[in-house]
Amino acid sequence: MNARSFYLDLMENREKLYRFLSSIYQKEVDRALLTQMKAMTFPSEAEAPSLTEGYRMLKDYLDQIDERKARIPEDEVTDLAADYAKIFLAAGISQGSAAFPYESVYTSPERIIMQDAWETVRKLYESVGLIKNVETSGLFEDHIALELEFMAFLCEESHRDPDCSDWLIKQREFLRDHLLNWVPSFTADVNQYADTAFYKGIAKITEGFLRFDKEILAGISAPFDEERIENQNEVGETAFSLNPENMDQILQELKKEYRIFAPKRYEKRGAKSSSDLIRYGEINSVQEIVHESQSDFSPKEIYYPITQTMIRFQENQSIEEPSADSRGVLIFARPCDINGIKRLDNIFLENGGHGDIYYERLRDKVRFIMMECGGGWDDCFCVSMGTNKTEDYSMAIRFDQKNLLVSVKDQAFDPYFSGEKSNEFTDENTKVTPENVDFTPQFVTSNKKKVRLPKIQNRQQLKKASDLEFWKEFDEQCIGCGGCSAVCGTCSCFDTVDIIYDETSSDGERRRVWSSCMLDTYTMTAGGSRFRKTPGANMRFKTLHKVYDYNLRFGDEEHMCVGCGRCDRRCPKEISFFDIICRLSEELEYRNRKVER
Amino acid sequence: MKNIMMPEPHEILSVLKETQAEYTFRVACDSKPLHGQFFMLSIPKIGEAPISVSGKGPGYVEFTIRKVGRLTEGVFGLKAGDTMFMRGPYGNAFPVEQFENKNLLVITGGTGLAPVRTLINHFYDHPEICKSVYLISGFKDVDAVLFTDDIRRFKDKFHMTATLDNTAAPGFETGLVTEHIKKIPFPSFDDFNVVVVGPPVMMHFAARELIANGVDESKIWVSFERKMSCAVGKCGHCKINETYVCLEGPVFNYVKAKELLD
Repeated sequence: MNARSFYLDLMENREKLYRFLSSIYQKEVDRALLTQMKAMTFPSEAEAPSLTEGYRMLKDYLDQIDERKARIPEDEVTDLAADYAKIFLAAGISQGSAAFPYESVYTSPERIIMQDAWETVRKLYESVGLIKNVETSGLFEDHIALELEFMAFLCEESHRDPDCSDWLIKQREFLRDHLLNWVPSFTADVNQYADTAFYKGIAKITEGFLRFDKEILAGISAPFDEERIENQNEVGETAFSLNPENMDQILQELKKEYRIFAPKRYEKRGAKSSSDLIRYGEINSVQEIVHESQSDFSPKEIYYPITQTMIRFQENQSIEEPSADSRGVLIFARPCDINGIKRLDNIFLENGGHGDIYYERLRDKVRFIMMECGGGWDDCFCVSMGTNKTEDYSMAIRFDQKNLLVSVKDQAFDPYFSGEKSNEFTDENTKVTPENVDFTPQFVTSNKKKVRLPKIQNRQQLKKASDLEFWKEFDEQCIGCGGCSAVCGTCSCFDTVDIIYDETSSDGERRRVWSSCMLDTYTMTAGGSRFRKTPGANMRFKTLHKVYDYNLRFGDEEHMCVGCGRCDRRCPKEISFFDIICRLSEELEYRNRKVER
Repeated sequence: MKNIMMPEPHEILSVLKETQAEYTFRVACDSKPLHGQFFMLSIPKIGEAPISVSGKGPGYVEFTIRKVGRLTEGVFGLKAGDTMFMRGPYGNAFPVEQFENKNLLVITGGTGLAPVRTLINHFYDHPEICKSVYLISGFKDVDAVLFTDDIRRFKDKFHMTATLDNTAAPGFETGLVTEHIKKIPFPSFDDFNVVVVGPPVMMHFAARELIANGVDESKIWVSFERKMSCAVGKCGHCKINETYVCLEGPVFNYVKAKELLD
């Protein structure tokens, strides 16, 4: 197949899927569409995990509609119509919570329709000469059905006019600026409010497809346009080869504006008296960086300190503690840890609709130097958790035999490598001489350990997961030390502690300190009551938070576990979180199979 | 950017002793909390704790705090004229509009009366917007009875049952709140809501009893008390499944509440 016909097929298939999804959201599913869907074949292994899961859910749902009947039972159509009304129109819900299918609702602060997003997409449609057809005339232009339909239209135009890249660019932009900007939150809501596996599956497919389509669009060019794209690549990332001495000189320059952190070796400070501790600390030289093994602690403590003074109380006034250092923060970190910070971002910047100032002011300063990860370590499973790759870095580094390969993605750092910022070195012999090379950082694509995430699709299954006997095993095994949370890159919970300076006045300060849901006091109220009383219950809570709850709340195919495996190595009782996830998945699958029989 | 963790100083206007262990603090405050909301109060030398608003009026809010262990002890050293650091109000509220022009049953256990006190007062002050109010308030014993004046007052306008767990006293019935539920004439109500607030076990059994008496789950509203260190969705302590009690609660419809597995 040549590039041209591959391109044409791709556009056609994408158009079909966009139209199909659009029709599902446009109105209630009728018998004709349902019959048609029953006859469709869905891929059992799609390109993205949520796409696979969505297809499977939809297929399971369609399969359970009685095979023998030639016609779809009326009940099925009615059930789906009721669910449609509940999810998208908030019918029958007392508090009016629903997944309202309008971009404006998700992007306006007041969460109402016909806001800026509606204006923008209306103008966009007009700019390509589109007007609403009769079928969809009752919907506003930023309705999901119309936005998907618009993508279908753009695919159609790309197909019709394959030599023109404008349609492709429009697709990329529309996907980025509109659909992906709100649909992931929307589909998370659909998943929450839907009763039927049908709409839950559709939500998964929609989200999975949009994300996957972004990748497709990033990797394809109009056949005629390839030349131009190639030229574009040349002005992208620049890469250099340096010896450690050169790199150290650059670090010295960087240190004027950044504090630089990397995993370092602290001799004889490990969990056992004879072992070393590897944790993050400020470095002066790349020689200090431990890159041949994983750090015992995540880099979390740099942007979310173990203990942090927030407020000082002085003579009946509360005073905000200022930032300690105005410099930027540059961190050498692997993809799993860079993905970990996204989870903290969600909690500290997004959850509840307000950002936490102490986190935000540090986080804003953070830039990453992504350490290419060789082949992963014995305990990690980042590929299963989808955290093996990242785009969120300013520079990437490979520790080669003798030299360092550095790819500079953020242009703000170019001057350090081009020599502009190293002119102050007067000694000509030590002047930085980075050599331009071809280096694209590689990501881990397979780990020794692979994990299957538990399949929990509704509240009944969640209850089943919570009630499993095996949690009780941890009443004996787990001592509730919270060490797992301390080394974790995503554990975000904290306590506040007030300190007074002397007994005679109430002057003092309020600190925030890391907490852990594994501590036996974690749920204890001032009145002394506890809502989870056993290590087993705590383990259940932690596990479900890490591999289910967080994802349900924030969507985005993200989990609170990034699969770094640090907690497994840290646990003094040798409890493996990896084993717990596997065990949970197996137990649930076993029980679900039993129910089916 | 606003510092969501920053408490502000407020003047304590008065401190009223309710029982041997419970005190009501009236604090100068201009914000107008909704029925069921809470504030984060700074307990001197200890830290913060979420405390429900138990009363409100022009320029003040009230908090009824129980003296339990060292955690809340620091607050009992405070007196009128002292400073209380606090921030809020936080959380959602009882859907009062939904309660209007219908029958209302409120069931409280112990200090659970505090978070619904402003709600009850709302209907006390506006009897015209409610068909009838039934109130069942249970206490451990006569020494634990809160808001004695209110209970006397409520009897004038509401169907008020004040009950002690297993002792007798004048003006009180005996028995757990669940035992009084069957006396409520549910069939005579055309539309009604039930509010249940108290210790978790009490809420659980009250809800079960209500359902046994034919009450639809969706008519029951509960309020959860959980440990909180931030009240703004960051500290994690109040999370149950994917729900943050500080953000989506503390008030939940029972349809949702029964699904929350601590």
